[in-house]
Amino acid sequence: MGNTYAIETRDLKKTYKGKAHPTLNGLSLRIPYGSLFGLLAPNGAGKTTAINIICGLRKYDSGEVLVDGHSLADGMKSIKPLFGLVPQDIALFPTMTAYENLKILGGLYGIQKSLLEKRINELLELFDLSASRHSYINRFSGGMKRRVNLIAGMLHAPKILILDEPTVGVDAQSRRLILEKLVDINRSGTTILFISHYLEEAEQICTEVAFMDNGSVICQGPPSDLRDIYKSCDSMESMYLLLTGKRMRDNQ
Amino acid sequence: MRKFRYLIYKDYLLLKRDVAGLLLMFLMPIVLVILMTLLQESTFRAITDASVPLILINKDKGELGKAIDKELELSGVFKIDRQIDGKVPTLQELEREIASSKYTLGILIPENTTENIQKNVARYVLATFSGAMELPAMDSVGFVIYVDPTTKASFYTTIMSTLKEKTQKIEFDYILKEITRQVNEISPISISTAGFAGQQVYIDIRDAQLEGKDMVPNPVQHNVPAWSLFAIFFIVISLSGSIIRERQDGSFSRLLTMPCSYTEYLLSKAIVFTLVSLIQFGLMLLIGVYILPLFGTESLNLGSSPLALILLGLSAALAAIGYGIAIGNIADTSHQSAVFGAISIVIMAAIGGVWIPTFIMSDTLRTIGMFSPMHWGLSGFLEIFMLDAGVKAILPESGMMILFGLVCFIIALAFNYRRRLDV
Repeated sequence: MGNTYAIETRDLKKTYKGKAHPTLNGLSLRIPYGSLFGLLAPNGAGKTTAINIICGLRKYDSGEVLVDGHSLADGMKSIKPLFGLVPQDIALFPTMTAYENLKILGGLYGIQKSLLEKRINELLELFDLSASRHSYINRFSGGMKRRVNLIAGMLHAPKILILDEPTVGVDAQSRRLILEKLVDINRSGTTILFISHYLEEAEQICTEVAFMDNGSVICQGPPSDLRDIYKSCDSMESMYLLLTGKRMRDNQ
Repeated sequence: MRKFRYLIYKDYLLLKRDVAGLLLMFLMPIVLVILMTLLQESTFRAITDASVPLILINKDKGELGKAIDKELELSGVFKIDRQIDGKVPTLQELEREIASSKYTLGILIPENTTENIQKNVARYVLATFSGAMELPAMDSVGFVIYVDPTTKASFYTTIMSTLKEKTQKIEFDYILKEITRQVNEISPISISTAGFAGQQVYIDIRDAQLEGKDMVPNPVQHNVPAWSLFAIFFIVISLSGSIIRERQDGSFSRLLTMPCSYTEYLLSKAIVFTLVSLIQFGLMLLIGVYILPLFGTESLNLGSSPLALILLGLSAALAAIGYGIAIGNIADTSHQSAVFGAISIVIMAAIGGVWIPTFIMSDTLRTIGMFSPMHWGLSGFLEIFMLDAGVKAILPESGMMILFGLVCFIIALAFNYRRRLDV
């Protein structure tokens, strides 16, 4: 293939209609193959817009996006099978069972019926949900929904997994399970783009992180390297606050 | 194709589990079509089967009394009693019965009415033929008619004019007959008026017709297609609601990141909801043909072109689906789509002639109604049911509905594009 990055954005710009400032202001992001990459940013910094553009859900004004070497400008057909998205919302059908949801979503990836069945069983087992496979999603706890949401993005064993706050609103047990499994999945060769507000999570599992603010990357590297650079910061959180400031971003 | 089957399976499951939506789409129109047909049918019967209660005391032993009795009987307008409690009432009793509203009319034909007319005619003829300058004195001939004082003026006028028309005709016939008899007594040449009907001017009253056939539908012919269309359009609530829910819970975005295009996403919904519409339509026709007659109505005649029926049903489904998809893309919340969808459908139904047939609407409302897709559909169905129309005849109505669906679909695409581009 020749390219080094699973995902690369070059000088990506996007300004929403009616907004004075650009949401993405020349975002250049490089996510190496095999990394568990943490994208950390305050509210309104543009990370959701960036993810939506990478996944083909939003148009962008200028710049370039490459996923596994395929340019987004050439269309999404060759890109879609390469990645799996685990959105922040529980993007499942609440009136269906966990099994029905996974069967439909896996089927849409074109997975063979027998292979899909095997994959669903494996992943339900992995995330401790086998016993609830025929229960309706709207009767699941928050943690169970999160885990099914995660499985839905992994059914087709994607090369790249994009996770938007996968542990938000779950209990400590579910969080620990999810993070452990993500590390395992990453070790098996899947590149993971991990977006979270929980900085200690990123510090704990990410092989590389990027801090983003005002629509562009302000700092990127492995956590150990960043700690060497910002020696005065005793944690990822203090580093984050140093780089992005303490001003509230609620209205952005 | 295999992937597309999963999309259809998804929409099928979502619909199957939407109990409220299913009730709205199937139970509501079934209840409405049966209820509205029976209500209109009973109103129709109350008008056509109505008969005016009347007491007739005929004291005349001659031909005129008998003729009036017979004519009133044959008119079908009156329910005639000649006795009360087994005996002929007196004039006072007659008045009391009418005043207490037990009867609407009471008629007394006095004794010797025929005889008095005969005498009057004989005197008149004799005086005429003898060249007398003045007409002779006549015996008075008069009926007594009592009318219920609570009777409405319009009804009173109608009844009295009917009664006058009948009695005058009999009187005229009888006078003509008497003149002829008297003339024949004094004339050397015998004349006859047997072939003279008396009525020379005919007023030919006809129902307005289109292409030679009656276009005023009976309650079954009106209500079955009307509520079928209403039901088909009510899928808008469920369809637009599902689009919005999927957009809000993120599953729509997830689907778009999968090897599934927006067109496939919409096509899957269109196929599932088209099937729903056709099932609704079939069910409503079956009710018209088999269920409504069990309640004493006429059975629905489906015409002779099943293809025309299917085409029109399909066109209505496409119009409704296009409209539902447009609302699903324009509205931001399920609440918005449900309220706007329901109100707009009720308005379309009202002006389109679903609630009240357009032929009894004012000209202005009828003109406005021509812009309602339900009016196009209803006109097409009435042509099939009443004029035995085929595919060719309903192409304009069918084309209008398909065009409406298409325009809505384009609006939906434009809104979706704008949403993805800028929101």
